Amino acid sequence: MIKSILLSVTLVAASASLAIAHDNEALLHAPAGEPYVQVSDVLPLPAFLPGLGTLFVAPDTLPAGPFLAYDHDGKLSATVYMTPLDDLQNGTSYDDLIIGSHEVSSVDIYYNAGHPGVDKPHAHVVLYHDAEAKKRLAK
Amino acid sequence: MTLERRRVLKLGGGIIATFSLPLSVRAASLEIIEMGGTARGERIWFAPHGLAVSAGTTIRFVNRDPGNSHTATAYHPDLFDRTRRIPKAAGPWDSGFLLPGESFEVTLEIPGVYDYYCIPHEMAAMVGRIVVGNPSDPRWEGSSPDTGDVSAKVLAALPRVEDILAKGRIGREDDT
Repeated sequence: MIKSILLSVTLVAASASLAIAHDNEALLHAPAGEPYVQVSDVLPLPAFLPGLGTLFVAPDTLPAGPFLAYDHDGKLSATVYMTPLDDLQNGTSYDDLIIGSHEVSSVDIYYNAGHPGVDKPHAHVVLYHDAEAKKRLAK
Repeated sequence: MTLERRRVLKLGGGIIATFSLPLSVRAASLEIIEMGGTARGERIWFAPHGLAVSAGTTIRFVNRDPGNSHTATAYHPDLFDRTRRIPKAAGPWDSGFLLPGESFEVTLEIPGVYDYYCIPHEMAAMVGRIVVGNPSDPRWEGSSPDTGDVSAKVLAALPRVEDILAKGRIGREDDT
């Protein structure tokens, strides 16, 4: 009986892992499908932002994101979160945010004064997904 | 490919006979204000953010920021219901969002003080002030006394009219 329960739990867990892996696979190459939209299609911003690449975001997740950042070849290179400083100070927390890929090689966090879409001064939290990602997104 | 968008407005009812003017006068009647920012967007600015010009000068706003879009927008009730901070007889302008490399032109005819801002960056005090003519000019209107529609940060970022008239232009190096 116990073996049977353990086997069931294992199978359920394996199924869940496969589902997560499948979801991530769908985001690894641009364009990210629905509900994501290309940021430059809906906001007055360049299609490729130096340092961030080509961004996709699900509008319902603004302002935090995740913003999925793709290089010139359409490879997912970073997941970016944008968190307004005064929202954080006033008690807003951004929990359980989705990540574009579970492989993260490094993280950069820096201040941004604002831009269309996230006008408030905010922090950029950038999760790079491989060692060369930052270089590919630079310009 | 860089898109370039140029729109020209003539404010104050004057007609600019640009092509009939001597070359030296034409050259002096155009001033450029650049919109810039650091690579990661920590700081953004108009350069210069304080500028003195003669009446009839055309101002060209150019976005030199490769990673951001900017606007040059006059404080005026007709634009997003803001309190007027340009001469009453002058018309307001709004460049709309300028992508990197794009530009926008406006010609200022009425003497006085013109305050403007960047829509997505006003909270970061990306503002500027243009002084047209000088206080002895007929129809001159000085800076707005209003302190309620803009933040203290914005007010602090606007150069004093006296300093602009004394220096001609005020850039970031003069901020301290």
